[in-house]
Order: sequence, then C-alpha cells, then structure tokens
Amino acid sequence: MDGDPDRPDEDLPLTPEETLRLIERQSAEATRRLTGDPLLYYWPWGLAWFAGFGALFLHYGLSGEPYAPISMAVALAVLFGAMAVAMTFTIWVSVRSGTHIRGGSQERGMMYGLCWSVGFIGVGLICSRFGRPDWLQPQEIGLLWASVSLLLVGVLFMAGAAVFREWPMFFIGVAVSVLNLIGTAAGAGWHALLVSVLGGGGFLATGVVLRRRGERG
Amino acid sequence: MSGGFRELDPVIHAQARLRVVVTLNALPEGDRIAFPGLRDLLGMTAGNLSVHLVKLEEAGYVDIHKTHRGRTPVTYIALTRRGRSAFEDYTAAIRELLEAGNGEQP
Repeated sequence: MDGDPDRPDEDLPLTPEETLRLIERQSAEATRRLTGDPLLYYWPWGLAWFAGFGALFLHYGLSGEPYAPISMAVALAVLFGAMAVAMTFTIWVSVRSGTHIRGGSQERGMMYGLCWSVGFIGVGLICSRFGRPDWLQPQEIGLLWASVSLLLVGVLFMAGAAVFREWPMFFIGVAVSVLNLIGTAAGAGWHALLVSVLGGGGFLATGVVLRRRGERG
Repeated sequence: MSGGFRELDPVIHAQARLRVVVTLNALPEGDRIAFPGLRDLLGMTAGNLSVHLVKLEEAGYVDIHKTHRGRTPVTYIALTRRGRSAFEDYTAAIRELLEAGNGEQP
C-alpha cells in the first residue's frame, strides 16, 4: 500500500541473507555519499604537491645545480597556483557534501577548517619574519617555509584523524611528519623531492585506496 | 520452531523503511539531515519517504524537526536514541536467524 509504484516488490519480505546484504549495501552507500569521495579530497593535493614540489626540486637539484631551467619564481608560481586550485576545490567539495547536514559534524568541520587558516597565517608571519635574504641563503628560506608548513600539515592531519576518528588520516599525518623531518635534515633539494614523490604520490595512492575500500563497503 | 527467537521489529522489517533507518544510522550521532538530502540518498519519491517517516516517527524511532532557513521551511530528520537501539536489536536478530537457519530457507 505504501510501496513505491515503480518498485512494487519493495515491501516483499526478504530472507535474512537478503536483509543483511541490504543493510550492508545501503550503509556503505550512505557513508560514502555522506563523507564524500576520498578521491576528490586527496587528488587535488596530490597533484599540487607533485607538480609544485617537483618544480622546486628541479630548480634546487640535489647537489646545488638545477636539473631544469626553472627559476624560483616559476617554481613558486606552480606550487602556489596548484595549491590555490586544490584549496578552492576542497572547500567546494566539503561545502557541497555538508549542505544537507546540520549538527555536531558541521561544528567539528568548521572548527577544523579554521585550524588550518589560523595555523597558516602563523606560518606566514613566522617564516617571513625569519626568512630574510640577509640572514639565510635562498634555498634555506625555501626550506624554512616548506618545513614549517609541513610540520603544521602533519600535525593537523593527526589531529583531524582524532576529530573524525579516521585511522588512515592519522597515518598520513605521521608519514608527512617523518618525510618532513628526513627532508629537512637532508636539505632543500631532498625535501622537495621527498614531498613531491612520496608526499604527492602518497596522496594520489591514498585517494585510490580509500575509494576502493568505500566501494567494497 | 521460531519460539526461541526474538521477534523482528515490524516497523523496521519493511524494505523501504529498513533503507531509511540504515541511512539515518550512517549519520554521526548528533547530526540531522534535511529532507531533500535524505530523499536523494535513498532515491525515493518525496511522498513515499514522507509516509515511511511518519510511521517511524509514530514508533518514536525518528525525530522530525521543522524549522525555517530564511523564509523557506526546512525539515531535518535524525534517528532517535530509541531508533538507533531498535536498529541494533533488529540487526542482531537478523544475524541470530542467519546463524540458526544456516542457509536453510522456509
């Protein structure tokens, strides 16, 4: 009587197996659509890091000689341009997936988003205060900005994992932190290489793995 | 034969309502979803979804909250604590049936 006319079998009794399958399928589908496609979160940043830090790496080289005729200005333009696109995309995706939801997760998402903004304003102020050309070599200024930024990224991923209770996010935060420490110790060229290939590549791989896992349920 | 088993909750044990409850259960506790969002997630018609929501509300399983955003009325829906535990009991009962029957069908 109250069944959908297009699906007349909607209220037919199901066997326990069918019922359990329905529960699992519907639950996976709802979670996937409520949290958004992980590919849409990880790929823009993976591509931005891969291209941006890749350009920086080609500019620095590993032994002080550039590997390609890319000036610092061009490398930074690639990095910041790609990150601006990724950020706009991330904001668009999270606003879109949350349009119909009100309540606790909206508050958590807003506070977490503000953490990134406040944190990066701090990074900008601190690095421009200490990264002065008369104090540091150009490469060291670049490394200062990159390493302090990645310190914040790693910590915010781990803290975000605690907020949203997502273990994969926590391990990404740990991996970013470790990469950052190794790269900072090794120097600007190595730092850019590690962040581009392992950091950017890691984001791309994570997006694919998380999406597959979501599809399997 | 079925004497030892829990009865399956008739409110939840209808395919369409089961899908509604499963979907609402996927929301973190403390969150509500707007009616159009829930309708899109389920792919049901508005009329059909309303009918099922009324039944679930009568059973005390969902909380339907009508409010306004600007001038447009919006309805937010959430599973109540009672609804969540009814769904847990229902899932447990289904698993029990499965284990007991072990694939044997009537």
